[in-house]
Amino acid sequence: MSNFERNGGAFSLDLTLDEAHILINLVEQLLELFGEGDFFHHYDESDPFAQLMSMQHEVVTPDDPVLLRLLPNAYADPEAASDFRRFTEGAIRASKQRVLHEVRAHLAILVDQEQAGTVSDLEANTWLMALNDLRLALSVRLEIDEASFELFESLPDEDPQKSIYAVYYWLGWLQGNLLHLL
Amino acid sequence: MNTQSSTLTDIDSALQELLDRPWTCIVWDDPVNLMSYVIFVFQKLFGFSKERANELMLLVHHEGRAVVASGGREEMERYVQQLHEHGLWATLQRDDQI
Repeated sequence: MSNFERNGGAFSLDLTLDEAHILINLVEQLLELFGEGDFFHHYDESDPFAQLMSMQHEVVTPDDPVLLRLLPNAYADPEAASDFRRFTEGAIRASKQRVLHEVRAHLAILVDQEQAGTVSDLEANTWLMALNDLRLALSVRLEIDEASFELFESLPDEDPQKSIYAVYYWLGWLQGNLLHLL
Repeated sequence: MNTQSSTLTDIDSALQELLDRPWTCIVWDDPVNLMSYVIFVFQKLFGFSKERANELMLLVHHEGRAVVASGGREEMERYVQQLHEHGLWATLQRDDQI
């Protein structure tokens, strides 16, 4: 399995082509959910993985539970929450989209060359934030709770959900691996 | 003694107390964020030592929520914004304990 590595102050990540594809698909789908579509897509809608993720991108609404998890209410009071949203949501979205774009640019080099390789000189902070948002997005779709890992292990291999759970736990493993190196 | 001005003074001091009451920034437990990531974010945003960040992370985990900072409203809003940027589930409210 792929690992982050640290060489002095520089971090790198070896990825198989499949892993790079999975990551860039997720990053692009999340960017779409943030209302972005103006970039070359490395997946198409017939991609079974994209369908399984069912990150619908035709409607962008705060009602979407993934967006609500990524952009939660800051106040219990609806009026205060709405004011906070009006003044800060743009900046929070911009921050999230910036890290996703940065990660996407790294991954696109591997994916466009259609080969496994090393993402070098990556910014640990950026990757931690991006991996975390990908995990949060998947966790909403998978309804992750304390019992989920047991459920994942009990799923038969042919269950299509199993691969999504596997990706979710792989992302957590990757994130933990990078945190460990700091 | 002028009763009216005394009442006004009371209202004034009650208002002042309300204004002085600090705001608190609260982080809520969730089943997704890794413990090590929460510690990392606490250290990064609040400048806590590893021990203090670990303590607070465990408090969030065991109690379901924890106050991670308190102070002026604008300052707490900035923290909540940064916590949201990092994917932690955070809210702010007035301090319940006067």
